[in-house]
Amino acid sequence: MELTLNEKKLLAVLAPLKSAGPALLAEKLGTKEESVIQWGHLLEDRGLATVERVVTTRHHLTPEGTGYAGQGLPERQLLNSFTESVPMAELNRHPLAKIAIGQMRKKGWVAIRDGIVIKTGNDEPGPDERALQDLSGSGEGVEELRKRGLVTCDETVTYSLAVTSAGEEMASRGLDLREEAGTLTRDQILSGEWKSIPLRRYDVKKLPKKIVPGKVHPYQRLIDEMRQILLEMGFTEIYGGLVQSAFWNFDALFQPQDHPAREMQDTFYLGEKIAVPQGFEKVRDMHEHGGTTTSTGWGGRWSREKAEQCVLRTHTTCLSIQHLAANKTPPVKAFCINRVYRREAIDPTHLPEFEQLEGIVMDEGVTFRHLLGFLKEFYKRMGFEEVRFRPGYFPYTEPSVEPEVYVEGLGWVEMGGAGIFRQEVTAPWGIEYPVLAWGLGVSRIAMLQMGLKDLRMLYRSDIEWIRETPAWRPGELSCGGGR
Amino acid sequence: MAVISLSYRYLEKLVGTDRQTIISRLPMIGSDIERTEEDHVDVEFFPSRPDLFSVEGAARAMRGFLGIETGLPRYRVTPSGTSFSIDPGLASIRPYLGSAVIRNVSFDEESIQSLMSLQEALHWAVGRGRSKVAIGVHDMDAVTGPFRYIAAPRDRSFVPLDYDREMTMEEILAEHPKGKAYAHIVDTFPYFPLIVDARDRVLSFPPIINGELTRVTTSTKNILLDTTGTDEKAVMTAVNIICTALAETGASIECVDIGGKSIPTLEPTERLVSVKECSDLLGIGLTPVEMSETLKKMRYGAEPAGDGMIRVDVPCYRADILHDWDIFEDVAIAYGYENVDACISSTFAIGRAHPVQIIGGITREIMAGMGFIEVLPFTLTSERVQYTNMQRPPSGSALKVLSPITEDHTHVRTSILPLLLETCQTNRHRELPQRIFAVGDVIENLETFQKTACAGMHPGADFSEAYATADALCRELSIPYTVQVSGDGAYIEGRRGEIVCNGTVIGTFGEIHPAVLNAFDLEHPVAAVELDLRAVPGYPGRQDTP
Repeated sequence: MELTLNEKKLLAVLAPLKSAGPALLAEKLGTKEESVIQWGHLLEDRGLATVERVVTTRHHLTPEGTGYAGQGLPERQLLNSFTESVPMAELNRHPLAKIAIGQMRKKGWVAIRDGIVIKTGNDEPGPDERALQDLSGSGEGVEELRKRGLVTCDETVTYSLAVTSAGEEMASRGLDLREEAGTLTRDQILSGEWKSIPLRRYDVKKLPKKIVPGKVHPYQRLIDEMRQILLEMGFTEIYGGLVQSAFWNFDALFQPQDHPAREMQDTFYLGEKIAVPQGFEKVRDMHEHGGTTTSTGWGGRWSREKAEQCVLRTHTTCLSIQHLAANKTPPVKAFCINRVYRREAIDPTHLPEFEQLEGIVMDEGVTFRHLLGFLKEFYKRMGFEEVRFRPGYFPYTEPSVEPEVYVEGLGWVEMGGAGIFRQEVTAPWGIEYPVLAWGLGVSRIAMLQMGLKDLRMLYRSDIEWIRETPAWRPGELSCGGGR
Repeated sequence: MAVISLSYRYLEKLVGTDRQTIISRLPMIGSDIERTEEDHVDVEFFPSRPDLFSVEGAARAMRGFLGIETGLPRYRVTPSGTSFSIDPGLASIRPYLGSAVIRNVSFDEESIQSLMSLQEALHWAVGRGRSKVAIGVHDMDAVTGPFRYIAAPRDRSFVPLDYDREMTMEEILAEHPKGKAYAHIVDTFPYFPLIVDARDRVLSFPPIINGELTRVTTSTKNILLDTTGTDEKAVMTAVNIICTALAETGASIECVDIGGKSIPTLEPTERLVSVKECSDLLGIGLTPVEMSETLKKMRYGAEPAGDGMIRVDVPCYRADILHDWDIFEDVAIAYGYENVDACISSTFAIGRAHPVQIIGGITREIMAGMGFIEVLPFTLTSERVQYTNMQRPPSGSALKVLSPITEDHTHVRTSILPLLLETCQTNRHRELPQRIFAVGDVIENLETFQKTACAGMHPGADFSEAYATADALCRELSIPYTVQVSGDGAYIEGRRGEIVCNGTVIGTFGEIHPAVLNAFDLEHPVAAVELDLRAVPGYPGRQDTP
């Protein structure tokens, strides 16, 4: 049993006295009564002392009550103001009439007949009048005065401490009353004093004050883990502008100029213009008639004006094609995880901006089979062991594939899209080898991994949620990758 | 997306096998099963395959895919004897016309509904909401050929579908539900497109509405089809898809003479493709015979043509075959994606993180080390949050979204700090101190680059705290900086500073102005810093597109 120094001091003083009030003990210990009571309770918890709580009630006359104590209650004063009988009208003129007449009748001192108030002779002083002179007796008299607001009562709590036999025994064995050190000082450490001073002991059952560490956002951490996976797989990271010309965002990816996804309805357009780059003619030709490939193109006239409109990029694929146009020598393995925009109204599963992950592999001899291989490997490292593939459709890939991963409790879940860039996309830039490409919405993975029902949680940061979300969450990506 | 309802009874009859087999294999030809009901299944097909937007078309493809009937479906076309003329005045309005006569149709309510839904799906996927192509079907027996496609005065009148009185075309655009819905396609034209018969009776006002005269009912036996539009290829595609779908039900197709050409022919397009190119793309080794057989499962005509080439007949209803690789994808689909032996290529490359992301990561480490919690606000914001609330003049280089969805998202951010204050606002009820930061993209003058900002909100947050944070941030990022007095209205005068590097202001710090705190409903002082990360040595220069 480890007593604090204060408990030991109290026990040492209390033991010879057997029992005492806190005032005396406080005086002897040079402390406050409240401290004595607090330490006493600690001793009580250990069975070394008892703390008895005594409540005493004391009554006082109110100022009004004090006045009546000298002159009698109003009804007594009124009764004494006339002899046998008096007309009501006359009695009413007495200053105490209002409160007193009712009381006289209630107590049966008077009767009223035909407007005349007549004494009954039955006017012995009741318990209330006796209590008015002496409050010490309790009972109905005091209670009545209290109801009439002539008496108030105070409750006083007093304590009495007593040592138990276990306490006496401990005190008789001797108590170490040396002062305890809370904080070790430099002097104590250097001088060796630490060897002889008792250090205050702490209760490990008591929880510490909560520290909230500074931290990276849980979603950013997930993004960084995915970046790490792709870097480990030998991919180079790319980064580029949020604002793109429609040329790079759509035309270079062989999205026909009348494609519904290009409409204002789905895409954020800006008033600015960005000139088409050198070599745009090959993209134009590709749209109009398929250029020098086996493609027929989309036909019709390609508008340069439409291509020079500015948009907030709707995917990061516009960065991939620009990276390839600038890096035509194989091999190229590149990725990015960045924000993209869709003109969507906000709801729990749709946001106007979110992160997209995109990976590309360009090399001599890469095939559709390798694309599926990369997808399997990538999803496996992300913690999804089971992956399957279905045909898909994306305007800039052929063949196209929709990967699905198996998620416990949800079944097969669609997870992004992939394919090989169409020749209509690569040929204008002189890219001679197949480009395997895949992309996925990162927020979808975040929802799965963090068990979120509402995407908005990721961006409208609730500080409490970030504070409470541990940096390391076993079972998520970081662990999944290693399984 | 086009979701097509396929009734089991009809589908089983047309495919020739049970519904379980069909439903289990449908996704592997390229579709999403939306929901399965008691008597039908709703399937979403890709917009590139409008030929699958009818039960007949889907069944035709599934018969091939399941090996029940393979190879090119052939459709006989005989002359109808009727013809169409096209008014040259339509050249700048809606120049192209396709047509066909379809005889011996047997309609019930269900099959009329099916034809209408194919028509609607085509209007969406091929017709771009009727602007590119619009389709009309008419009871052939109510009218007499030859027919004329003319540019008519806007006040010409006829009785439109669902009405019992004559209306001028202008009235139709103003009053008829279809007129109001599609008026935007034609209302700037001096004349309107109109289809009339030999007796000048109105069949249709394309792309808006047909006449009541030629309404198709369950007693209709023969159909006249018209497709009009601005793109010849798309106009013909629509004809081919509708004719072949109805031919699948036993109707006979007759061609119409349009300007000397017989339309439709329903003839396939021939392509010569390389077996090696296909094998190299897919990574699947196929012999010419194997490849031909796979293609037949996708309803192509295919024969080895020697020299490692295959002669492929592409069905007339396939609008999506632009390039040889489109055919190779069908080889992969017929082969079965599940049968492809996935394996990673040996492509060797060394991974490298982007310097912008490396600097961003280090910034996060520094800020978290100083006790700040990261938040990820949107990049879309408003003039109110970015400038008005901040007592800052609107930036001339800020980007405005042309068609914002909400008034909260009208601008792309040039500064992150306002979004941190907005985050503090949404977290007002949360425990203090609140120390938050963000690292992310901003745009000025069309250039995307990164900034970081932090804000500490608690009683006692002051200039010294902001200065100390800015100093630590710059020191840790190796930015050689000096400080000068700032005039930024977001901060309290006398408690604000500018971070300067090589003569350029690269950041601000200080105690947020009480009026700004009021604007964000904040009740405690905030010490804040914002820094342009382009000032970090090693941050890449502006990248121009190639």
